[in-house]
Amino acid sequence: MRELVFLMAMAVANTGLAAGETVAIKPPLPETVSREDGLGAWARIYEVTSHPRCANCHVGASDRPMWSGPSYGKTRPHGMNISAGESRIGVEFIPCATCHVTASGPVDNATPHAAPKVTADWQLAPVEADWFGKSSREICIQLRDPGRNGGRDMIDLASHLDHDVILHWAWSPGGGREPAPYSLQEHVNDILIWGVAGFPCGED
Amino acid sequence: MKLTVNGQDHEVDVEDDMPLLWVLRDELKISGVKYGCGIAQCGACTVHIDGQAVRSCQITASDVGSAPITTIEGLGTPEAQHAVQEAWIQHQVAQCGYCQSGQIMQAASFLEINDDPTDDDIDRVMSGNLCRCGTYPRIREAIKTAARTLREV
Repeated sequence: MRELVFLMAMAVANTGLAAGETVAIKPPLPETVSREDGLGAWARIYEVTSHPRCANCHVGASDRPMWSGPSYGKTRPHGMNISAGESRIGVEFIPCATCHVTASGPVDNATPHAAPKVTADWQLAPVEADWFGKSSREICIQLRDPGRNGGRDMIDLASHLDHDVILHWAWSPGGGREPAPYSLQEHVNDILIWGVAGFPCGED
Repeated sequence: MKLTVNGQDHEVDVEDDMPLLWVLRDELKISGVKYGCGIAQCGACTVHIDGQAVRSCQITASDVGSAPITTIEGLGTPEAQHAVQEAWIQHQVAQCGYCQSGQIMQAASFLEINDDPTDDDIDRVMSGNLCRCGTYPRIREAIKTAARTLREV
């Protein structure tokens, strides 16, 4: 056990991460980031936010998750007539956790077509974060608006990505599902570049 | 590990990642719960964990922890049936019957949170439980009958 603790401590030390962190949150110096850099970072962020691994559960007031992406064939609402309700976790009808059970430890979600699970309760994103089928500009304006992003600034957005394990699943979905582009760390870096650049959106 | 099923404690020696479905069927010989697809697409393996419907093919034995598990065998008895079981007999819902324990467990869990469901409510909740015999109209009517019974209790 002592060896395991030592190895875990060394692993954290080697990545430069503090205990409990999965990514490094290091904003670039303002003088090193231009508006063009920010727009470039946003373009990559949009590749992530519009990717099926993220967008399928970032739906609006329909409360209906989607099935779309290379492993799903035709784009359509989640099978089984699923509605997550206003609760966004399905308590009004059939809870997401009926199939997307909450795991007590790490899982690989290796079985194709099975319901993926993580060590957190499965749920839709808040209705304000309606990304499915939305344009780059629409998502950009929503994500930089504290009134519609959960009151988050740049560091809060990065920290949210660091700590919310349901988001981590997008980069390791298993079961033959295509992961979100880039890596979690690269996505966090882009959020920080975009934030330091002043959250530019095209046509501002 | 220790599991509590239908009010009875069991000590089972299984791998942590063994699906609860197989612990129930193969280790504890509780066979009312059925294997249909193994990937949460059909609902035949539905049981209650802490009163909530869960697909037992998706949850591992270790993920259950100390939460109480209820299978169709523990929902009611022939002498004291659950309202859903009574309604199922009244409406003669079952045809081949394979999916019916999952259907009943899903319906019983649902009626705990909504005892006056509309057709749309029922369709939203029960669409994850497939029936190859197509007993859906009788399932819907039986759920309405069970709901009336539960409201009168």
